[in-house]
Amino acid sequence: MSVSTASSAPAGTPSDDAAPAGRRRFGAAWLAAALAFGLLVGLAIGLLGPRLSTPGDDSVEAGFLRDMSTHHAQAVEMSMIAHANSTNPKVVTLSADIALTQHGQIGYMQAWLRDWHLSPTSSQPPMAWMKDSAGAVQNGLMPGMATPEQLAQLRTATGTALDRQFLTLMRQHHLGGIHMAQEILDESDDADVTWLAESQVRGQQSEINLIDSMLKQLPTS
Amino acid sequence: MSTPGPERVPSTVKVDKTSGQGKPPAAKAAGAKSAGRPGARPQGKGGGKGRKPTAPVKVSGGRNWGPIAVAGVVVLIALGIIGYGVFASIKGTESWQDRAAGIDGVVNYRAQNNPAINSQEHKEGPLTYVTNPPVGGAHNSVWQNCMGDVYPQPIANEHAVHSLEHGAVWVTYKQGLAADQVAKLQEKVQGRDYMLMSPIANLDKNISLQAWGYQLKVDNADDKRIDEFIKALRLNASLEPNAACSSGNTKTGPVEAAAPAGN
Repeated sequence: MSVSTASSAPAGTPSDDAAPAGRRRFGAAWLAAALAFGLLVGLAIGLLGPRLSTPGDDSVEAGFLRDMSTHHAQAVEMSMIAHANSTNPKVVTLSADIALTQHGQIGYMQAWLRDWHLSPTSSQPPMAWMKDSAGAVQNGLMPGMATPEQLAQLRTATGTALDRQFLTLMRQHHLGGIHMAQEILDESDDADVTWLAESQVRGQQSEINLIDSMLKQLPTS
Repeated sequence: MSTPGPERVPSTVKVDKTSGQGKPPAAKAAGAKSAGRPGARPQGKGGGKGRKPTAPVKVSGGRNWGPIAVAGVVVLIALGIIGYGVFASIKGTESWQDRAAGIDGVVNYRAQNNPAINSQEHKEGPLTYVTNPPVGGAHNSVWQNCMGDVYPQPIANEHAVHSLEHGAVWVTYKQGLAADQVAKLQEKVQGRDYMLMSPIANLDKNISLQAWGYQLKVDNADDKRIDEFIKALRLNASLEPNAACSSGNTKTGPVEAAAPAGN
């Protein structure tokens, strides 16, 4: 751009004494071109700015939010089963806590994807955003996730067996979740995403401690 | 950019040009300019004054083609870069409706405004649907569990339609479809929430995909449109954002009959 202004500026001043008409025409043309170009640049910045300042479709943040939503959804599923079927008040309370917290966090994660104008879905396989994630996904299941067989067992279990299965599966689930949250903390500096991931690491770690103590208190039948 | 602007170019360029006049030298000037711009800067500073004697010489129209060409090229390149950026960012955020519409063979039942399909009413007992498999309409109050569940036997439409309302994509296949084809479909479903899969006895095509108000029928599990359909419509087609896929019915088989009285 500076090329145009540079050559038009000196052309404008001395043009008074030499070939005024031709110079003027170029001056006006350059001015118009510069204005039009400026407008286009402004428009592009306006359009691109918000997009470039939020994570993109193949960012680690988007991958994390999508995968953690799926991961959380299974914690909600297991917790709702335990909440409905357990007769142990501590398990009933813990499962409600986990289900409500994690379902609420899914709402955060989905809303951010929406804010960023990204689809909640991706054609990437699960965990693709994580480094060295090959092999981490078994039968489509991310780390810590229960298998369909384990879930089927949990659905039919009762009494202490149900409590034990639930606590054991949730312990495993939290370990996988913490692993993913720590990975995004390493790779991202997005304020919202890291805020949520930090809370997940902290909250789930303390729940693991609680689960360990509850497992010890279960009657050994 | 502003500093080099005023002093530099005119001198070098003009000296060349004044001596030449006309097109061939202008082309030369353009080359010299674009290549040697930074190097020419010091010259330009001194030349500003020293040039004055030569500058006033009648130099008109033709001599400006050099800078115009250079600037034009610069502008075109810049526009190309900006344009690509805009294109890429807009393309990446194409609405899910547009992406769904771009899938060859997809049927958009929402566009039909058919009350039988649009109804979100809860009704107990067996229901009839206007399409097979159904893509919407009144449904049972219990949804089919759609946490990536792979059901080996047919499930009740009345439950599955409720799952579609929650944002699930329901993968159905003709009962008896080759095992390797079923395995390929299962890979797309298992472990993914807002997905479920089941066979259907009287399906007119090998595979049929449903989201609320959308359907795509294909012959082969390798068909690329299956993934496109799932990507475009899973979760996005939800009528109840963040409604759950868990806590649903996990049994196969037809819906239970409506309770005999007053529900």
